Amino acid sequence: MSYQNGQKPLDLQKTVSNNRLQGLWRLMSGYRLIYFGAVISLGLAALMKTATNYLLRFLVDDVLGEGRFDQTLLAVALGFVALALVEGTFSFLSGRLAAQTSEGIAQRTRNYLFDHIQRLSFAFHDKTQTGELIQRSTSDVDAIRRFFATEAIGFGRIILLFGINFIAIYNLNAQLALISVIIIPFIVIMSYFFFRKIAVAYEQYQEKEAVLSNTLQENLSGVRLVKAFARQDYELGKFENNNSERYLKGKELVKWHSLYWPGSDILAGGQMLLGFFVGAIMTINGTITLGTYMAYTGMLIWIIWPMRMLGRLIVEMSRAMVSYDRVIELVKEDREQLTTGSYAPAGGVRGEIFFDHVSFRYDETDPVLEDISFYVYPGQSIALLGYTGSGKSSLVNLLPRFYEVTSGRLLIDNVEIENYPRHYLRQQIGIVEQEPFLFSRTIRENIAYSAGRAVSDNEIVEAAKAAAIHDVILDFPNGYNTLVGERGVTLSGGQKQRVTIARTLLKDPRILILDDATSSVDTETEEAIRQALNKLMENRTTFIIAHRIQSVMKADLILVMDKGRIVQKGKHSDLVKQPGVYRDIFDLQAQIEVDLENEINELVAA
Amino acid sequence: MTETHEFEEEEFNTQFNGQTVKRIMAQTRPHWHMVAGFLFFIVAVALMESASTFLGKLIIDDAIIPGDRQMLVRLMVLYGLLFLLQAAGVFGFIYFAGRLGETVQYDMRKQLFEKLQTLSFSYFDRTPVGWIMSRVTSDTQRIGDLVSWGFLDVTWAVTRIFSAFIFMAIINLQLALIVMLVIPILLVVAVQFKKKILVEYRLVRKMNSKITGAYNENITGVRVTKALVREEANLDEFSGLTTDMYNAGYRAAWLSALFLPVVQIISAVAIGTIVLYGGWQVELGGMTVGGIQAFILYVTFMLWPVQDLARVYAEMQNAIASAERVFSLSDSVAEIQDKPGALEVDSIAGDIIFDHVEFYYEEDKPVLQDFYLHVKQGETIALVGPTGAGKSTIVNLLARFYEPKGGRILMAGRDYRDVTLHAIQSKIGVVLQTPHLFSGTIRENIQYGRLDASDDDIVAAARLAGAHEFITTLDLGYDEEVGEGGNLLSVGQKQLISLARAILADPEIFIMDEATSSVDTLTESLIQRGMERIMANCTSFIIAHRLSTIRQADRILVIDDGRITESGSHAKLIQGRGHYYELYTRQFREEREAAIEADHLPGLGPALAT
Repeated sequence: MSYQNGQKPLDLQKTVSNNRLQGLWRLMSGYRLIYFGAVISLGLAALMKTATNYLLRFLVDDVLGEGRFDQTLLAVALGFVALALVEGTFSFLSGRLAAQTSEGIAQRTRNYLFDHIQRLSFAFHDKTQTGELIQRSTSDVDAIRRFFATEAIGFGRIILLFGINFIAIYNLNAQLALISVIIIPFIVIMSYFFFRKIAVAYEQYQEKEAVLSNTLQENLSGVRLVKAFARQDYELGKFENNNSERYLKGKELVKWHSLYWPGSDILAGGQMLLGFFVGAIMTINGTITLGTYMAYTGMLIWIIWPMRMLGRLIVEMSRAMVSYDRVIELVKEDREQLTTGSYAPAGGVRGEIFFDHVSFRYDETDPVLEDISFYVYPGQSIALLGYTGSGKSSLVNLLPRFYEVTSGRLLIDNVEIENYPRHYLRQQIGIVEQEPFLFSRTIRENIAYSAGRAVSDNEIVEAAKAAAIHDVILDFPNGYNTLVGERGVTLSGGQKQRVTIARTLLKDPRILILDDATSSVDTETEEAIRQALNKLMENRTTFIIAHRIQSVMKADLILVMDKGRIVQKGKHSDLVKQPGVYRDIFDLQAQIEVDLENEINELVAA
Repeated sequence: MTETHEFEEEEFNTQFNGQTVKRIMAQTRPHWHMVAGFLFFIVAVALMESASTFLGKLIIDDAIIPGDRQMLVRLMVLYGLLFLLQAAGVFGFIYFAGRLGETVQYDMRKQLFEKLQTLSFSYFDRTPVGWIMSRVTSDTQRIGDLVSWGFLDVTWAVTRIFSAFIFMAIINLQLALIVMLVIPILLVVAVQFKKKILVEYRLVRKMNSKITGAYNENITGVRVTKALVREEANLDEFSGLTTDMYNAGYRAAWLSALFLPVVQIISAVAIGTIVLYGGWQVELGGMTVGGIQAFILYVTFMLWPVQDLARVYAEMQNAIASAERVFSLSDSVAEIQDKPGALEVDSIAGDIIFDHVEFYYEEDKPVLQDFYLHVKQGETIALVGPTGAGKSTIVNLLARFYEPKGGRILMAGRDYRDVTLHAIQSKIGVVLQTPHLFSGTIRENIQYGRLDASDDDIVAAARLAGAHEFITTLDLGYDEEVGEGGNLLSVGQKQLISLARAILADPEIFIMDEATSSVDTLTESLIQRGMERIMANCTSFIIAHRLSTIRQADRILVIDDGRITESGSHAKLIQGRGHYYELYTRQFREEREAAIEADHLPGLGPALAT
């Protein structure tokens, strides 16, 4: 698989630099030569434009002036076409090479960030918002792309046009050259000043647009309420406010533009006029020839007018730098190492697990798990019972190394868990979550998703049947090829659950984690899911997280957890006899039945 | 689902629809003075631009070559004046066109929003919110840009080309005619290019949204990806997307990079012709050196008008497609409207009768058939039953979000279609399952129930709803912001505020769709108390999920498959040991278990923390 149109992937972490320009330079690795080619082409194109003016000078002074209306005239005419051809070729080449660079860098960065995000730790994802990550990966990357594609190239073009034409004019007449640039610094300063203002005004305008969108969206999603309270007029008023605020900001933006462009026109026009006037006087005085004057006026245009855009480019480039910072900030985060670890027995693990005084805490918080010790034989089922926040999920999250043990030892098959590569370990473990996540692709793909190999249709159907979802799938418009999610069918919680079970069956893990797997399921499917789960649990070491006694009674070992500690452990038959949390929960749940019966009896008696 | 294809973005329309163009123009009619303003200034600027090139010729031919310094000064002064006037003109057209664009956007957004407030539920049911949003935001923007900058560019380009021709013709008619031959060629080439480029950019946009979607899934599903060890396979698939994006972006960029050179080379052929023909004419005295330069400049800068024309032409198709979508929205007709002569009554209090009501959302899938229900004034009805049984439909019909397809609904003995929508809906209080709050303060959200309510009224309503206590614990009390969609508050808090809002409205009919998600016991009992207070004065319909609510109802209706399968008081239905009995016992267990769980949440206690 070539990720990069022939280019090798680049480890962006190695490009990180405190100096943004250096960072951008490193980001160009592999494209520098191409980009250099783009800049050279740009220069050559500018040179050809200048040459055209020199040709004009030759035409006026040496052809028309000398009255050589013969082949020379034809040659000059063809010369204009030839120069345009060469200029065009180079300017196209420059655009094409710049596009190759910018698109290439953007693609590489997108791929890198995509991979980076899925390899960052759980701890990172716990504290980072989705929208934030998406923005960095999309619009900020696009800002970097634009930097290379248009802003840096545009900047280079202006500078090159200026430099080459200035030298060319200087070559014609030094005095004239100096007079031609007197006003230019003012144009650049004015342009920078205004575009900073314009950028701010534009941002405010966009903010108002966002507010308006938000109002509109709330109105649309709250349409029931608006109608039920007959608040249409009120809503109109609210929208009207936002709409006119946006309109005012729009006018503000228009104002800045309507000041800048004529203002800079006057400055640039003044510079032109000055140059024309001095040039014309020099020509009349005989200091320069008529051809020189004409070439000069042609080149002067290319010194002055592009300068008006310089401020815009500087402002845009500085904004691209901010985007660069935001991308790099994400790149700097350390990845989870997926393949480091020496112990990866070919046949898979047996599923013997030993928690030896394990403690765990997130960075600098109170311990989430404290002094957890227990032993599990391969194939046993272990139930974790406790209230929300007691540490059940944190405990099982240590097994696939989603989080790392803070202190103590966690052994699988008598080998410390740090010795297993994360990838290997995760292949050995199957998880059925309370709120299962399916990807927006076909049901078939969702089931085959985790197998990590080519899976036959037959296998998929078998797994679906075992998970009691086959019949449901056949009822969908496209059967196994039905898309899940927004663009396809919406599955109920129970259906998702069973697809997840089928997925896990295909994965065939040695260790199974059932994270409250039946709690959000409706009655009709509960039994089907329970059966599917029982099938899944056969011959696997299984961790069951539950808060209902009913779901944990059959487990080989029950761990009752409270505030990060194991407060009781044993089998159901033992635990119900001891005073403690387990019996409290058991009693409370039994009490429910008693209460229910009482209530019904009362009603029936009444 | 079957209708989603309607909402795929159709960016291209092969033909210009004259009717649509006319309607777009009509949008500018109220602001004709701005149109006139920018047209005047842009024509003036284009003329002056062409004139200044001609002035350059005069400087060479009439001042420099004869060595006439006085003439030079005079021409230079003229040149300077022209520049100043031109700058004033630039100010003028930016000012007018910019304002016009903003104004048209403002108008269209306003019109669309007004329209949206009148449309019926059925419209919102079949139209995705995102689709409507794009019509109101990006499409109006595109139209605004077209009528201002688009038309401005076209006017400028046309004036520029014509005035250049006239000046060239003054210098040398024959050469001018020859040179003008190049214009159609330039235009055809440019339009073809711009169209191709636009297609590529559309592809880029499409890829971009796919990539965003892929990132979104990658991030939200990151835990599953890790658990299933899918990192490499995911990256493989993703690089497929970015490769497509690369190809589209690269193609778009190099096509754009090719555009100018090609047009320039075509112009260069014209310049070659000028040099050849012009040089020959100089010998004959039919042409001056300044004339040749003027010609060269005219042709060189012909590039920009041509490019603008091509761009606007290509974009125009997009803008017209936008306009068609916008007009399709503004032409939508509200399905539910007041009948002519409908009464604006002050009260709709009285018995409510569903008189053999039929209803369906889709023709062949009846939801209610021959549905009969008589509710006495002041009664509290609890609707229970499985999802999709028709409970929401019943309350939707009641609130007249929809109207019966057959039969009728009587309120106080009168078919409710004989009464205005406003009269009914201003007497109905609604609390939704997922409580909807608007961005703003708590006060504003409660006040939504009755806009002229005083602060005292608001506090009184909040007290009745049981919301006052938690509100006063907030830093800013009633002035606390609730966040976008109320997301700074917990579900329970949002419910309390919606209750307060409904209480403030002082409705005669109260509709509540209870939330299914569990809240802690304290909040639950607060909500309960609030509901009791409001139900005391209203005829109430509750889609009930909580036992406490169900028990209190005067009558419980078990709805299944659009029919009332069981009906009666709680005790009576339990004794019947039917479907209700099963629903009830199951709910009983779940609720109690959830309560045990909720009350043990560490550190949260009654979840009133913000």
